[in-house]
Amino acid sequence: MKRWIAIAAVIAVAAVLPLLLNPTGYWIRILTFTLLFAAMAQVWNIIGGLANQTSLGHAAFFGIGAYTSTILLLKFGLSPWIGMFAGGLLGGIAALIIAVPTMRLQGHYFALATLAFGEVMRVIANVWTPLTGGPGGLSVPFMPPSVAAYSFKQLLPHAYIALIALIVVTFIFEAIRRGAMGYRLRAIKENAAAAEVIGIDTTKVKLQTAVISGVLMAMLGTLYAQVAVFFDPDTVFSAASISIRVALIAILGGVGTAIGPILGALFIIPVEELMNDLFSASAAGLSQLIFGVILIAVILWRPRGFITVFDAMVARLSGRAGS
Amino acid sequence: MSESALLLEIAGLNAGYGEIEVLHGIDLQVRDGEFVCIIGANTAGKSTILRAISRLVPHVTGTLRFAGADLAGRASHEIPALGIAHVPEGRHVFADMTVEENLLLGAFTLRHQPDLPARMDGVFELFPRLRERRAQLAGTLSGGEQQMVAVGRALMLQPRLLLLDEPSHGLAPKVVEEMHDAFTTIHRRGTSILLVEQNVGLALDVATRGYVLESGRIALQGSSAELNQNPAVRAAYLGI
Ligand SMILES: Nc1ncnc2c1ncn2[C@@H]1O[C@H](COP(=O)(O)OP(=O)(O)OP(=O)(O)O)[C@@H](O)[C@H]1O
Ligand SMILES: [Mg+2]
Repeated sequence: MKRWIAIAAVIAVAAVLPLLLNPTGYWIRILTFTLLFAAMAQVWNIIGGLANQTSLGHAAFFGIGAYTSTILLLKFGLSPWIGMFAGGLLGGIAALIIAVPTMRLQGHYFALATLAFGEVMRVIANVWTPLTGGPGGLSVPFMPPSVAAYSFKQLLPHAYIALIALIVVTFIFEAIRRGAMGYRLRAIKENAAAAEVIGIDTTKVKLQTAVISGVLMAMLGTLYAQVAVFFDPDTVFSAASISIRVALIAILGGVGTAIGPILGALFIIPVEELMNDLFSASAAGLSQLIFGVILIAVILWRPRGFITVFDAMVARLSGRAGS
Repeated sequence: MSESALLLEIAGLNAGYGEIEVLHGIDLQVRDGEFVCIIGANTAGKSTILRAISRLVPHVTGTLRFAGADLAGRASHEIPALGIAHVPEGRHVFADMTVEENLLLGAFTLRHQPDLPARMDGVFELFPRLRERRAQLAGTLSGGEQQMVAVGRALMLQPRLLLLDEPSHGLAPKVVEEMHDAFTTIHRRGTSILLVEQNVGLALDVATRGYVLESGRIALQGSSAELNQNPAVRAAYLGI
């Protein structure tokens, strides 16, 4: 309950914050990507946190979404709002195709299988030039600015769309976690053998989470394409900067909790950006190294994620308020 | 002696994992209202019989019927709803859930859940210690109490047949006795039981009939009294 009051406060701050920033500037861009990556990590959290299956292939769905809506826009002039749902459908199908053979795999094996799937998608996008434009990437065509065309002069509307997306996927995550499906997933996570004998259809419930997560991730791919305006296979299908990063955000923040991915993104995205700004001029690669060292330090400090710091803070604040 | 209807009928059952066949031509029956035990050495395949009934073994051929219904082709998650509750080997509780949540999950797959509080009361009558600890996390219970939770969770289904896989393994003698008293009560209340037990003396004490499994084959069968008197059983399992 206290947590939810804190969440309402965070949402209120997030809703006002974009207005305070220069609408065409640097910080609003970072804010938009922070919100978007928080949403992506939340979507990953459905399968990674609730079903306990550490996917390292979510870039596959993300890229499918980005390409689907952009290709539909380029070839048929279809609004990205509609393209987003087409991408979601394909993302869900892709998730089903990858999940059926891999869902029985545990831990590292599942992670590696999904990682390979993401890479396969990257290679396909690179060679299927007639459809995807190949390694040269795709530019989202410029449309006269309007909400219906999902086209804006400034970043501000994109920040709000990302915020709304984050709120929506967070509610979906919570609804699953608290519902019958969440109970089944918890039972499987806590004791697979016991879940089996009480009649839980382990395969089905895991497939459901995979598909939901795949659909939503693909839809977020459209959001990314519209903000980024240009992308190529190595960006949207990237193992490092999409698949692993969203997993890292959720894990660092607190896997399996609704607040974890938000905390993780609030930390990782700005810090990474800051490191790039500070060090990329002086020595290429140094920023990555320092960023890596920071991540290791944080994981050693809080192995269960920032959520533990957050919970302690909320407890202390409410304790003080109570006394 | 008038015989009651066949509840579980296993005939010519072969089962295994991957390439390895573990059970070779098992014939076994449980009549309605019976208390039957399976005894045998480690790796004889006792658990595999129970797991085959619950459709948890990948490769199974032969006849498996329950209350007239063919179990072949059914998925494992459909089995509890038929009236078969399985308490697996080891103490499998949902550790981070309360005793009450564990019990409720036992009836989770039932379409109609009209009398859950009454069913839970039935479990608490059988294991009064669980009533005191209903709000405690199952993972923090003693081994014996966890096993009570596992049995209680199975009873929430009000099954016609209860499959028990070495329920007293690793428990203190006093708890084992308590556990077996509970089984006698469950049986008297009308539930048929198929019990796998390493403690052969105890198994033959509570069950009315038994099968001796050796390397995936039924080597002997008979009433508990007959098996108790059998020189081979006495030498191999009772150490007499
Ligand atoms: N999941 C599995 N995969 C492969 N082999 C298995 C599996 N489970 C059991 N086995 C093998 O099947 C044989 C029979 O095992 P099972 O568990 O049925 O024996 P058991 O009589 O219950 O033994 P115990 O008294 O030790 O519980 C053993 O050789 C075991 O190694
Ligand atoms: Mg066994």
